[in-house]
Amino acid sequence: MTGASLAAIVTSLHGRSGKTLLARALVDYFMLSGGRPYVFDTDAVERGLHVLFPGVARVVDLSIVRDQMLLFDTLAQPSSEMRVVDVSHHSLTKFFELLRDTDFIAEAQSHGIEPVIFYIPDCKADSFEAGVILRDRFPDCPFVVVENAFLKAPKRSVRQGPAYKALKPHKRRFAMPKLADDVVEALEDRSLSLGNFMRQPMSSRGETPIPDGLPPDLCIELRDWVFRIFREIHRIMVGLAADDAASDPIAGTPWVADAEDWGPAFDPGNSRRSRTILDKILGKP
Amino acid sequence: MKPVVILVGADKGGVGKTTITRTLLDYLAARNMPARAFDSEFPRGALKRFHPKITEVIDLETAADQIKVIDTLATSDVKVSVIDVRAGLLSDTLKTFTQVGFFDLVNAAEFNFILFHVIGPSIASLEEIGEIRPYADGRDYLLVKNFINETSFFEWNPELHKSYFDLAKDTTEVTIPKLNEMAFEQAELAGVPFSAFIANKTADGQPSGNSLVLRGYVRTWMSHIVGEYDRIGLIDRLSDRGVATQAA
Repeated sequence: MTGASLAAIVTSLHGRSGKTLLARALVDYFMLSGGRPYVFDTDAVERGLHVLFPGVARVVDLSIVRDQMLLFDTLAQPSSEMRVVDVSHHSLTKFFELLRDTDFIAEAQSHGIEPVIFYIPDCKADSFEAGVILRDRFPDCPFVVVENAFLKAPKRSVRQGPAYKALKPHKRRFAMPKLADDVVEALEDRSLSLGNFMRQPMSSRGETPIPDGLPPDLCIELRDWVFRIFREIHRIMVGLAADDAASDPIAGTPWVADAEDWGPAFDPGNSRRSRTILDKILGKP
Repeated sequence: MKPVVILVGADKGGVGKTTITRTLLDYLAARNMPARAFDSEFPRGALKRFHPKITEVIDLETAADQIKVIDTLATSDVKVSVIDVRAGLLSDTLKTFTQVGFFDLVNAAEFNFILFHVIGPSIASLEEIGEIRPYADGRDYLLVKNFINETSFFEWNPELHKSYFDLAKDTTEVTIPKLNEMAFEQAELAGVPFSAFIANKTADGQPSGNSLVLRGYVRTWMSHIVGEYDRIGLIDRLSDRGVATQAA
């Protein structure tokens, strides 16, 4: 994997899970590193990532074959640039059907591109089931479980479920640090570039200057958050390059399970609901 | 293994005969079953463009070319002969094969014979079932429903559907799913077997520049077709095992 160009596929089963925020952080990180990443937004309606990076992120409607070609043919194109795809929950099924049908993983890897799935489960049981199915369906693709501290922790009944337990010991994990509400508001400002923000010098008082229009305390909090998420991205990148899944994420994440929670392994084939999710994600076999 | 003739045809044009023949040639190659192909779209030959090394363009209306096919069956090292019959010539070809005694040799178990009758979702195409049926009695007759568009072969009209398909109710149906139009066009443009298109190779085995997505569509479509050919036991049908199975 060393030297490979990364194709980060950011996805989740449900909306409002932080996909676009993570995709945005990845794009900013790659730009800050001097790259010109290929960026795709599969939400043709809300265009969240495109709005943030209008000259960079291309909107693709996966119900259109030409857009499918634009996305996957570009993603598999030999080039040293990084790639980021924000896969909306609306496009999840189609995206992974295409990923499977095109044999994209093998094709990309043959061109020195390493696809990586960043999957964000939320508090619902089916989001863990979908995560397990995706991970197991694409065993050749590194799979990163993203723990978004902003999301509600799953209830005990979910934590006792086999899918949760199956994802819990997954070693490659990414921790999205928690955000204060006012930082979320600041991040929703479309004109705010995280990369530019981080490039700005700190003032002597440890605050960023005023151009962003952010109050100093918010700047500090935002800087801290960006620093932590960039550090996580860097850690994952280093881990992928070293093919080392064992590095630990930063502390303070909501992944909780008691020792007594451990039970039988999750088998999608044994669960009627899981089969439904499997069909939902990957169509009929 | 006895020599076997696979006839792929329809009297109506545009139902996908050459496409079906191409899938058969790919399937046989993948199963290590060498085949020779005859393209009766004389003189142009649509099939030859995709499988030039194994395809000969012939005029099935001439005795010379009939000899070229039938008289070489027993002597050819390649035991499987696939004939892509030109549109409008299926009935005539079956008549000719009857007249030259080919079916007597099939009855005498010297050759095996499989008919792939390709039908499209049109009344004209369905009417052929009744016309071809007399030639197919006692033969390995496969009715190939080629879903070249989003139609359903009149299944929404049960009486009409029954009136045609009852004529072929004792035959085996093969379903060919619809292939995405752009994928079909790019595969057509590439001018190589579907297997080479999927592998992104040119005719001489060099890397090609076909779309990953369109290749994916063709791959998925071909895997459905391979599943269909496996389901009907095509390889067994080519061999004596198939004959034994049918007799049983």
